[in-house]
Amino acid sequence: MQKSGLPEPTGPYPPTDAMLAEPVPDEVQRAQEDRLRKVWETPKGWRYWSAVNNSEVGKWYCLTALAFMLLAGVMALLIRVQLAVPENDLISADRFNQLFTMHGSAMMFLFAVPMFEAISILLLPGMLGARDMPFPRLSAFGYWCFLIGGVFVIGSIFFDVAPRAGWFMYPPLATKDPGPGSDIWLLGLSFIEVASIAAAVELIVGTLKCRPPGMRVNIMPLYAWYVLVVGGMILFAFPPLIAGDFLFELERSFNWPFFDPTRGGDPMLWQHLFWIFGHPEVYIIFLPSIAIAAMVIPAVARRPIFGYSWIVLSAVGTGFLSFGLWVHHMFTTGLPSISLGFFSAASEAVVIPTGIQIFAFLATLMVGRVKMTLPMLWISGALAIFTMGGLTGVMLALAPFDFQAHDTYFIVAHLHYTLFGGMVFPVIAGVYYFFPFIQKKKLSDRLGKWAFWLIFTGFNLTFLPMHLTGLWGMPRRVYTYPTGLGWDGLNMISTLGSFIVAAGFGVFVWDLIRPKKDQPQIERNPWDAGTLEWSHDIPEEAWGVRSIPHVTTRYPLWDQPGMVARMDAGRYYLPDAEEGKRETLITSVIDATPVQVQRVTGPAWITLAAAAFTGGAFIFPTFHMYPPAIVCGVFAVVCILYWLWTSTARPPEADAKDVGLGLTLPTYAAGPSSVGWWAMWITMLGDATALASLVFGFFFYWTAQPDFPPVGALHALPGLVALAATGFAAGWALTVGARHLNRGGALQAARLCLGLASLAVAGGATALIGAVTPLDPEAHVYPATLWALAIWIAVHVGAGVIMLLYCLAGSIFGKLTPRYDADIWNVTLYWHFVTISALVVCAILGLAPGAL
Amino acid sequence: MTDDQPKRREDEAEFSEEQSSLLKITMAPTLWAAHFVICYALVAVTCAKGWDFPTVRAGLLVFSCLVVGGISLIGWRAWRQWNVSETGDFINRRGRAEDRHHFLGHAAFLLSVISVIGAIFVTLPLVFIGGCQ
Repeated sequence: MQKSGLPEPTGPYPPTDAMLAEPVPDEVQRAQEDRLRKVWETPKGWRYWSAVNNSEVGKWYCLTALAFMLLAGVMALLIRVQLAVPENDLISADRFNQLFTMHGSAMMFLFAVPMFEAISILLLPGMLGARDMPFPRLSAFGYWCFLIGGVFVIGSIFFDVAPRAGWFMYPPLATKDPGPGSDIWLLGLSFIEVASIAAAVELIVGTLKCRPPGMRVNIMPLYAWYVLVVGGMILFAFPPLIAGDFLFELERSFNWPFFDPTRGGDPMLWQHLFWIFGHPEVYIIFLPSIAIAAMVIPAVARRPIFGYSWIVLSAVGTGFLSFGLWVHHMFTTGLPSISLGFFSAASEAVVIPTGIQIFAFLATLMVGRVKMTLPMLWISGALAIFTMGGLTGVMLALAPFDFQAHDTYFIVAHLHYTLFGGMVFPVIAGVYYFFPFIQKKKLSDRLGKWAFWLIFTGFNLTFLPMHLTGLWGMPRRVYTYPTGLGWDGLNMISTLGSFIVAAGFGVFVWDLIRPKKDQPQIERNPWDAGTLEWSHDIPEEAWGVRSIPHVTTRYPLWDQPGMVARMDAGRYYLPDAEEGKRETLITSVIDATPVQVQRVTGPAWITLAAAAFTGGAFIFPTFHMYPPAIVCGVFAVVCILYWLWTSTARPPEADAKDVGLGLTLPTYAAGPSSVGWWAMWITMLGDATALASLVFGFFFYWTAQPDFPPVGALHALPGLVALAATGFAAGWALTVGARHLNRGGALQAARLCLGLASLAVAGGATALIGAVTPLDPEAHVYPATLWALAIWIAVHVGAGVIMLLYCLAGSIFGKLTPRYDADIWNVTLYWHFVTISALVVCAILGLAPGAL
Repeated sequence: MTDDQPKRREDEAEFSEEQSSLLKITMAPTLWAAHFVICYALVAVTCAKGWDFPTVRAGLLVFSCLVVGGISLIGWRAWRQWNVSETGDFINRRGRAEDRHHFLGHAAFLLSVISVIGAIFVTLPLVFIGGCQ
């Protein structure tokens, strides 16, 4: 491969002590500070909402998720009021169904997962000594998508049209449900899942490429390890649900019978796809919250974490094992007992890594000198409650016990113990711990203790009796129950407890939002913690870090004395912003050697517009209004193209710049060394998972149905399928060729290749759709599945053609040159994935009829 | 980078395999996952299509032994990479290239332990449950 001619990093690295000791004159420091402050300034007035800085977006994200949580909490209170006494008629059955469906959906999709993203966006750059995330506008876009989608989904309850088939939307109940409820769930939450995947991409790339120089993987904060694991899990867990949503919505809108057994469909496919998502999801919620504990515990024990490698093991191990548990939600669906055995075994195995983390925490506390601070109080509550939930989890993982407890209040008790202990308590601990970092103020100790004891006792009062209610036979999701079954008293206790929890949250939220203007300036490192985020500036500065330090220890603030003073004096990397651009440092994946200066994007409205139009494209189809949806989709694409064209991978004014300490780094990167390429790779991994889920569906039908494909069924036209495959292969070869030719300077030939590639793949997609056109997707699940696969590929090819034309335009207008060719590298990578997907689909369409 | 720091270059050469190490630590759990998926899928198809269960079961048991052996091999190599018996360093908390090298060995070793346990757990139903009922 020909070199692009971009400069390599030059200059001494790692820095010596003598270099670090060299002082920076005061007036230079002040001039640097002024420039940095100006570049990173948060927009004022109404322009504030155009901000994209992680500190602002993270705050909005957290507060929005909190608001959704409180709303879902109010729904829980209504549920408890209805259930307080037997034969209550306060809330109708239909309203009750909407309430518990929305309570679960909102807590999961609008609170728990987004909260992970919110907190990570807010904290991660601080922990890594980075100025910002690598793609600030993507964070902002994700946030606005989340806000629009969340308001749409949760707002439906006020119009009495909320989804009402349970948070896991089982067909046929959910597919046959009249009214827009199920569509609101499917399209609204799909929209949010897309935002979640965007955030996961951002966080993974941020952790891998934006660490400070010297922070090798063995010394990065544990939180970063958890982010890496959870980001990876989101990539493999969310796409199956997106694929499931795609099939589900095709059934709802166009009557394609994926889950309708009368036409060959199978409701069990939905259960599989949902829980392949749904169980890892539990760990996606749990791991980042326990990561907060991994940050708080060393600070209160005032010693390094005990068993760093063991915690890494348990995070990675849990991440893997959690994908082998999904059928334990389906123990009563009649699968062969040996299949249940596999999942039961894996469900027991996952206890081991989960237990190891807790023992590592306890060991750290035992050997340290613990200072019982408020965050530690919440962490203790979390460990106690989570352990209880874990123990009932071990019970439920045994299939015969689950047969008895299935769909009773025992499950409700179990899941609330795991989620409160595994998520709510550690997150609140994190709020108390990180509040000084986030707002540069402190929360009240007294109110915090009140909130803790109210929530802790109220929680146990609510959910401990539910174990018994469940064992005594009370099923979940009933809107009322007859008296005389022994459930009356227990339900009353649960209801009383739930109001105590609510009072606790009232105190907590008041503490959070009460004005703190009179509070004196807080200490910089109030907990005497050792990690990098506590080098933050007080009073607040928007630049993230004054200069990016060279880190050689796990707890730099403890083990590298003088570091904070050096950071403040601008004696580390990137202390200045001479060109008036926002920049952060990109380092290598394993050893964090500095490789590039990345220009990051600043405030913009375009992200908001893009999110609004994307929202329209998802929301209008809920009401079967397709033309406005298409218009919105087109505008969304236009907005995103404008955003990419104007602010990403622009040729820089100089190829390299001095970043301080004698080091000169390139300002542009293409291919595997650029963050954009990594983002594309990670996104496409998720995309490939979604296609794999659809392919799984095809083979699932083949396994589960005696006649799939049915005897005498029409198949896809083999000639057109072969033509399509040829078109895709040719398009791929032309795209790769265009990349080579462009780098070699043969611009005309490269442009010609790009043009021909667009035509070849567009022709391929047309042929693929043509191959399935004779089939009637409403008649049977077999033609419907082939149609779904063809549509999936056609949509991806459509996006790919836009990308090819984007590169063509870039080449013509000087954005894409032989030297600055990041765009075409990313597009080629996209085409690697899409070509493989397309050929797999062609193979299924063309070969499966003969092979099965 | 400059030539006045020869130490660093030596380290780089000695531990040059590290670019793939982040993936290497996931090798053992990936084997566990592959084993899990193959056992589940093959048994599901066997039961649905009425294939010969005892044959499939015997094949899967042999396969399970191979997987356990494979993970153990990964674990053994990771143990060597961790090299704790020579360095005596259980924590690898310092910021040198060899610390990172040993740490990745340690993490990979622990992950292979958990993967072996997981694979044995998942094999047990094949041992104890003799049919598709």
